[in-house]
Amino acid sequence: MRSLLRLAATELKLFVREPMVLTFVFAFPVLTVLILGGVFDEDDPNFEGAIPSDYYVAAYIGVVIAAIGLVMLPVHLASYRERGVLRRFDVSRYPRWALPAAWIIVAMVITFVAVAVLLVTGHLVYGLPEPDDLLGVVIGTVLGALAFISIGIALGMALPSARSAQGLGMLLFFPFFLLGGAGPPPDAMGDPLSSIANVVPLTHVIRSIQEPWLDLDSPTVHLAVLAGLVVLATTAWVTVSARTAE
Amino acid sequence: MTIVIEVQGLTKRYGAHLAVDDVGFTVTEGEIFGILGVNGAGKTTTVECLQGLRRPDGGRMRVLGLDPRTAGSQLRALVGSQLQDSALPDRLRVEEAVLLFGDGDRRSADRLLETWNLTGLRRSSFASLSGGQRQRLFIALALLNAPRVVFFDELTQGLDPLARSDVWRAIREVRDRGTTVVLVTHFMDEAEALCDRVTVMRGGRVVDAGTPAELIARHARVTTVTFTPPVSFDPATLPGLPGVDRVERQGEQIRVIGTNQLIAPVCASVLGDDHLGPPDLRVHHPDLEDALIALVSDPDTDRRHDPASGRTLEGVS
Repeated sequence: MRSLLRLAATELKLFVREPMVLTFVFAFPVLTVLILGGVFDEDDPNFEGAIPSDYYVAAYIGVVIAAIGLVMLPVHLASYRERGVLRRFDVSRYPRWALPAAWIIVAMVITFVAVAVLLVTGHLVYGLPEPDDLLGVVIGTVLGALAFISIGIALGMALPSARSAQGLGMLLFFPFFLLGGAGPPPDAMGDPLSSIANVVPLTHVIRSIQEPWLDLDSPTVHLAVLAGLVVLATTAWVTVSARTAE
Repeated sequence: MTIVIEVQGLTKRYGAHLAVDDVGFTVTEGEIFGILGVNGAGKTTTVECLQGLRRPDGGRMRVLGLDPRTAGSQLRALVGSQLQDSALPDRLRVEEAVLLFGDGDRRSADRLLETWNLTGLRRSSFASLSGGQRQRLFIALALLNAPRVVFFDELTQGLDPLARSDVWRAIREVRDRGTTVVLVTHFMDEAEALCDRVTVMRGGRVVDAGTPAELIARHARVTTVTFTPPVSFDPATLPGLPGVDRVERQGEQIRVIGTNQLIAPVCASVLGDDHLGPPDLRVHHPDLEDALIALVSDPDTDRRHDPASGRTLEGVS
């Protein structure tokens, strides 16, 4: 257990030394929430009755989660495989599960720090509403983060190189970002776009956080989708990592 | 002598390609054992099977009495490895690497950094290290946690001659402290300088095994003496000297080829009245490199290969 914590602490340092992580996970969501929160009028009708800045802060927790799961983890892990770092770990005294376990811990820690930065900034600039159901918000955030971390590990384990991970990561990140609830307000999208938005995994993360926070609707369906994603992605990376051991 | 590694009939296939074909050998405690061969001979794959990095398609392996297929995690605590084609995260610092892969004890980490002349680099990131410094770090990491067996795969790749001789000295020290060393290399001078016993692989098979001296005696008997003859010298006397097979002329130089018996008489025959010989007089003794080249370029080696070699070679130790 102590060596797992040491591994996690070392990995945390390595992530933080990566400028792309700082940009994508910390700066980008904060900047965008500041801009979008200021774009719309307070009584814009496209936000299901919520104030736009309130609506977007919950959405940007989802963006932090997506940046970690779709960009940060896959690029980091694929570069480990590509450069032979995984092989070095395979002959070390760490068991095979130690590295993924450390990544889950590290990604959770980064998620919470980035979300805290986001909330403090949002609160100072626009003032945030009291969450209607705080426990629901926490559950939605944790389950959403876990789903995207599992997807990130699966992508990182399956992709052959850091470049391919970066390419695919960006290709997934931007549509997720724009359609998942962090782009134009859903009520402003046409029908075809909203139906696409409904199958984007990030939509379910953002809804799972937004609905308990702003008391819009019951998040049960979204939480169930996220739980399914956790199971699916975890099965995927466990299978892939067992196969590469051949 | 205690047997530390035992391999019999090891086979590994990549698709249709047979990378390792019925390989067998034993390594005894406290020796430096070399696995030699040109690129693509199957050396690395063999060692990767022993390290538990690859699952062989057939054969029996024991490392310290354990099967790497089933006791991988137990073995990792007893075995150290320096891998070909591996790396550390770019931004990981030298000291962090030693703490991460070691037991986390700062004092033993300091000692190790000292031994491998890495103290001055402790705050340097892996990305900023030179090839030789990286190699030193990998060797240091392989020796963390006092392993009973260490595997070195292309140990001195990318090292300058000075760093190379430092590493050789360190490897002998490792052996002298009782650690068994398995060395994969295609540098024959390295194998000759370090290895107590070697096995030579070609096309996935073991073609011969023994001490370096035995291999040289079996496969490289040719000694040559070259020199530029003094004006008064009569080369016609050379073919009659003991051990001489033939005499060749290369421009100004004469090259005498035969067994090592020829050295003394040939050298004596070129000694002038002033007791000085030709300044460019050179004697080339057969070495492991000659033996390896003879072994891997001989078209008959494949046919000579005995499928039961995995068993018969055990007698070599």
